[in-house]
Amino acid sequence: MSHSDTIPLHSSAQSDIDEIENLINAGSHPVTVLPARPPSPPRASIPVSFVPSAAPPPLPSYQKVPSSTAPTPPPLPITPTAAGSRLGVGIAADGFGSPPDTLTEPVLDTVKRDLSRIVSNLKLVVFPNPFREDPGKALRDWDLWGPFFFIIFLGLVLSWSASVKKSEVFAVAFAVLAAGAVILTLNVLLLGGHIIFFQSLSLLGYCLFPLDIGALICMLKDNVVIKIVVVSITLAWSSWAAYPFMSAAVNPRRKALALYPVFLMYISVGFLIIAID
Amino acid sequence: MEEGYTSLPASHLLGSVPAVIAEDKTTSVASEAASTANLHLFPPSNGGYQAPGTPSGADEQTTSSWQGVFSISSYSSYFNVDTDVVVERIISSVYPMNDFYRKIDGNPDLYGPIWISATLMFMLAALGNFGTYLMKKRNDSSTTWTFDVTYVEWSACAIFGYMLAVPAAFYFLLQYFGFRTSLVRLWCMWGYSLFIFMPICLLLVVPVELFRWIIILLAGIASSWFIAVNLKAYTQSSDLMMLIVGAMVLQFALALFIKMFFFP
Repeated sequence: MSHSDTIPLHSSAQSDIDEIENLINAGSHPVTVLPARPPSPPRASIPVSFVPSAAPPPLPSYQKVPSSTAPTPPPLPITPTAAGSRLGVGIAADGFGSPPDTLTEPVLDTVKRDLSRIVSNLKLVVFPNPFREDPGKALRDWDLWGPFFFIIFLGLVLSWSASVKKSEVFAVAFAVLAAGAVILTLNVLLLGGHIIFFQSLSLLGYCLFPLDIGALICMLKDNVVIKIVVVSITLAWSSWAAYPFMSAAVNPRRKALALYPVFLMYISVGFLIIAID
Repeated sequence: MEEGYTSLPASHLLGSVPAVIAEDKTTSVASEAASTANLHLFPPSNGGYQAPGTPSGADEQTTSSWQGVFSISSYSSYFNVDTDVVVERIISSVYPMNDFYRKIDGNPDLYGPIWISATLMFMLAALGNFGTYLMKKRNDSSTTWTFDVTYVEWSACAIFGYMLAVPAAFYFLLQYFGFRTSLVRLWCMWGYSLFIFMPICLLLVVPVELFRWIIILLAGIASSWFIAVNLKAYTQSSDLMMLIVGAMVLQFALALFIKMFFFP
């Protein structure tokens, strides 16, 4: 009680060893440290490293205390910067900051974070950008949600545009795009290129975004000439987006061998967009 | 970083992080020569990894592990071609001449067959729809454009099925008759033989029935002749005339199927 209230736990003023001692002392009274409201469910935390002598069992219970504010005694708000983050004593890799919250945060937060990542990846890949020439920088924070949305959206738009055999159209579009992305990545790897498998899948999916826009416009406007013009423009845009990444990944003598299948896939999807009646 | 591509002593480590191997030229040449010597074994048996400096002849074969089937690096020896090599092979496949086989003997590749088949599949689906529409429009000018998406499925099954099954069947037949054959070379040859159908597809769009038939007959004959010449050079005997005739008939049947199904 009073003992735990006097734990200073200043973020930077104390040395690490002092903080360990304080944690140990605080850990000896686990019940007193709990806040008024019920604690959140135990987080799945990966113990990164244990300080050998100072890893007593009560410590894990200490980290069950939620780091969000609530009416808690003063030591608690300081826990985000506590020794745990710097020592990694049985606490998740980044300490008491936001990563331990990802399992307990509201779904809306997760969705907003994923959406913002999709938008930022899109801006990196598809739109003109100073980092585009360095593929390693371009999509370092790759994710597969964006490609998933774009492929499904393209399949749905094509399916809506079709007047007959809608489910077959969706199946063909989805199969060509999904299997095509995997096969294209394998093609680059087999030709001796150096790419990361999922990064390449992610990039090929993001480069579908212009074709998505094209398909949407073609669904709304049914004139053949407009369709051809729109699809040509978006096809060129997609190819331009995918080109630097793919060409940088292989030996320059094999560049055309790696790029041709990418163009083949996008051209065939473009034709599908034009041809669906 | 570009220089690293042209000197690939670690080419057998593809698919993983390329290590900086300070090996001398002799061992790298030896390992590369040995790795091409094993190309007739498909799928690769030793996991594809040829450690530099090991006498990769006899004692590698004994450690035949099935894990070679699932690792990418073991297949990358079949894709060891550059752009100009592929283009040259494609050009030499159009003329049914004898020296195609000699071109692929040392370094058969699977890149050509796979992507020629994929391109042909998309072209058949797309141009087949277009050609069918033009033909219908010629007969009855009030037809509207319809896109039959099952053409994509049919062309995928037909082309890839043909490409997978026919060389494999011939491989087993030739083995049965006692010839030591190489499945990869058969796949390579049959794959390149399909290239001639790609410009043919473009010509078949013209909605004149007689022209279409003439074109497909010429293409069928040229393609069958290509197959026959190369198969004969490969087996180097004339006892297997029936097999060679069978191959020609199958290729011709494929040409007819393309015409009758996709461009009726």
